[in-house]
Amino acid sequence: MNVLIVEDDNALAQELALFLQHEHYYCDFARTGAEASEKLYVNEYDFVLLDLGLPDQDGLQLLAEARKQHNLQASIIILSARGSVDDRISGLQLGADDYLPKPYSLLELGSRMQAITRRKHGVTQETLSFGGFVINLSERSLRHGGTEVVLTRREFDLLHYLLLHRGRVLTRMQLSEHIWGNMISDRDDHDSNFIDVHMKNIRKKLGAFDTHDWIETVRGIGYRFKPTQDV
Amino acid sequence: MKLQQKLVLLTTLSKALMAVILLLALPWIVETLALRHTDASLRSEQQRVMRRIGQIGITSFLTEPYPNQKVHYDLLQDEFIELRHAVGTQSDTVATLPRQQHGELVDFRVLRHTFALEGQRYTVEIGKSIASVEDVYALLRSLAAYALAFAVLTTLLIELGVINYLLRPVDQIVERLRAVQGPMPAPLPPLPTTTSDFKYLDATIRRMLQKIRLVFEQEREFIANASHELLTPVSILQNRFENMLQAENLPEEAEQQIVTSQRTLHRLTATLRTLLMISRIENEQYARNDQVVVRQVLHDVVAELEDRIADENLTVDWALEGEPTIGAANGSLLFTFFYNLLSNAVKYNHTGGQIRISGQQLAGQPYTVQLFNTGKPIPAEHLPHLFERFRRAGNAHSAEGYGLGLALVRTIAQFHALRLQVASSEQGTTFTIWLPATPLSA
Repeated sequence: MNVLIVEDDNALAQELALFLQHEHYYCDFARTGAEASEKLYVNEYDFVLLDLGLPDQDGLQLLAEARKQHNLQASIIILSARGSVDDRISGLQLGADDYLPKPYSLLELGSRMQAITRRKHGVTQETLSFGGFVINLSERSLRHGGTEVVLTRREFDLLHYLLLHRGRVLTRMQLSEHIWGNMISDRDDHDSNFIDVHMKNIRKKLGAFDTHDWIETVRGIGYRFKPTQDV
Repeated sequence: MKLQQKLVLLTTLSKALMAVILLLALPWIVETLALRHTDASLRSEQQRVMRRIGQIGITSFLTEPYPNQKVHYDLLQDEFIELRHAVGTQSDTVATLPRQQHGELVDFRVLRHTFALEGQRYTVEIGKSIASVEDVYALLRSLAAYALAFAVLTTLLIELGVINYLLRPVDQIVERLRAVQGPMPAPLPPLPTTTSDFKYLDATIRRMLQKIRLVFEQEREFIANASHELLTPVSILQNRFENMLQAENLPEEAEQQIVTSQRTLHRLTATLRTLLMISRIENEQYARNDQVVVRQVLHDVVAELEDRIADENLTVDWALEGEPTIGAANGSLLFTFFYNLLSNAVKYNHTGGQIRISGQQLAGQPYTVQLFNTGKPIPAEHLPHLFERFRRAGNAHSAEGYGLGLALVRTIAQFHALRLQVASSEQGTTFTIWLPATPLSA
């Protein structure tokens, strides 16, 4: 899939591209609004990652123009330092598909791009399964066989996120960022310790049905969802 | 005491002093004036008598059987005229002398004049009883007293009015200064006064307010710009760390270091985000279009914190009376406001502790919401600084957080005109929030 990265900061664009290429996306770059307009006119992209603070133009203006003039099918995700609710609302109202305030986690961005792709292609993968467990996203439920495993909202979100990135180490920060977003308070290590408490609870709940340790603790770093050989 | 009151007091005292002095001196003044008046009338009487003698001669006055003396009293015996042959040489005098009258001694004011006529010397005495003079005293005294009272009262009233009028700008200036709530006072029109001192004072105050505004605006702008500019490099680092972590076969030690760096970066991010948010709120960049139901937002916040509340085995008691709402508000900001307060109530509580959410409407007062937790007491000396940026209390709260959570709380409170107060004792800590009495205009 083709991605256009509209970002005036070269280093940031490079880091973004490095991650996306690793995820098998093809990346193209635009540093200014004019450059972006031109590329959008000529090429077809699946995703546009749009920074709002461009040197020559406001990103929101570019977005409005892109949506109106080229009737673009690309999914646009705004990546901006302007992260206030009002900015997000105006961005989304102008036709953006998602909005991530800087600095964002690349994994979070990856997940959102996957979700958009699924929605766009009508692939509503309502269920994910591992071992004997089936997780239902629309019902927000987890079952083992016919029995429901009761999870709290946070536990469900964490398990789902781990499952989406199965086999990959997720740091406590990334997990905390996903669960609490950029909720602003005097949050600190307390919350990342709290991730451990959640993990312990999830493990206990899964362990009641299955002896396999699905969640691996990576010492000092975080957690990894560890699939069995047959998954 | 207010300047106006002092001036009024001063005027009143000076008037009272003047009245007392005049009242004390009045008898003497009146007496002197009355005597002078009597003496003058005695003299004019004497001239009339002399004219009469000149016209008709002295003999018609000095008749038998008292050829040497003629005394004539008027009807009421208040006045008399006596004409007699002079004995020896006497100078002219005016004096108060006793005279026999119906067997009693009565004081008279007596003018004595000696003159020569046809080789003879005569003495004429004209007298006026002091009692009749005293009638004039009384009249004069009461007249003077009324005049004094009138003068004192009128001047006092006039002065009070003038003082009040002249000092009105002082009240206006004080009122204007009291109206300045936030760090961004609106520019004021010049004070309508002709007093140059007040004009000067007003101009100075307005210049000062302008300066405060300017400095605050600069600070605000700086924070916004700095935070904004820092977010991009922070993003680069964050993405780079994440990319590095994805690398295969990374030594464990390197992984650990990256994660530690990420944690530091996360702290920085949180600080920047909060600073930006504070600056945005202060810049009035948030809309106030919501009608926020306090009970609902508190329930949402508690639901958000339920895992942590359960983890710490805390109990949450509700005692919220009525259905308080905050009009013309920003829902997401108020959520953050209550989230920060209640998240602190969880964080600084002890395991198995209590959180109490109460609210009540006292008559004639704005609705108050109280958030109480059974955490360790905050030392009294830290309480006044609790809402300051980057201020950390040197107790259990230290080394945790980044010192902006409560600063944000205060900024959101100011934005919504909520009054906020904290009290802490051995039993626990209570945050009291007074909701605005009238909704803000959006």
